Amino acid sequence: MRFMLLLKYDEAAAMATPPDPAMFEEMGRFNTAMVDAGVLLAGEGLTPSSQGAAVTFDGEEPTVSDGPFTEAKELVGGFWILKVDSLAEALSWAKRAPFRSGERLEVRRVAEAEDFEGVAPQEVLDAEEELRARQAQQHG
Amino acid sequence: MRYMLIMEAPESMAMGGPDAPPQDEIFEAMSRYNNDLVEAGVLLAAEGLTPSSDGFLVTHDGEGASVTDGPFSEAKELVAGFWILEVSSREEAVQWARRCPIGPGVTLQVRRIAEMADLEGIAPAEVLDAEATLRRRVAEREQV
Repeated sequence: MRFMLLLKYDEAAAMATPPDPAMFEEMGRFNTAMVDAGVLLAGEGLTPSSQGAAVTFDGEEPTVSDGPFTEAKELVGGFWILKVDSLAEALSWAKRAPFRSGERLEVRRVAEAEDFEGVAPQEVLDAEEELRARQAQQHG
Repeated sequence: MRYMLIMEAPESMAMGGPDAPPQDEIFEAMSRYNNDLVEAGVLLAAEGLTPSSDGFLVTHDGEGASVTDGPFSEAKELVAGFWILEVSSREEAVQWARRCPIGPGVTLQVRRIAEMADLEGIAPAEVLDAEATLRRRVAEREQV
């Protein structure tokens, strides 16, 4: 099963504190431990929301607002996707993640094709499987 | 450049929730959208997340980690899924976000993913070198 660890943080507070080189080293050790254990499928950090936009779907046409998202208390700062055997294993990795104060991790199970069986139309599931194969070929 | 589209919605709109949209219709529309992304060669990854009742929160208080089981009923909006796109501009990412077939009450956050170049001069060089090695190891494993 796959789990996504979403790092949530207070952007304004984080901006006020310059990044600490020791933090990068700690993060590097955590990432290495996950790769050594063979559980890490992906991991990325996001740039500040000032470089982003929010697209809201609330009427006829979507509304686009430019970042920063100052009204948001918590923003996604980055994520990891892990392949593990159990929820407990995902939890133990999440507990080992290096944190700065004000950060927390939301741990969510990633949906698998089986989750949609009997829920989505079969032809959509077949098309999805084919798309994943094509996408992997393009960028794998 | 890579952008992440993060879909945020009230959990009541998730599949099986009381405000969920008509399922077959939404699955088909989403399938067409994903197909367009693949046709354009911009889709790097896309996943949906299961309801927060399958998840948990880990908070650090400076001494240790505390764990709270889902569902996260106090959260107004939750991440329901994401796409990662490789595009040539922020505008292109925003245009794809606007085309996403999702209904009222849903927001897509468009966020640029940090590249190595963003961390040069900020993170120690040996950390960046180690990171490049790790990424190669992850990529090699995925192809097996």
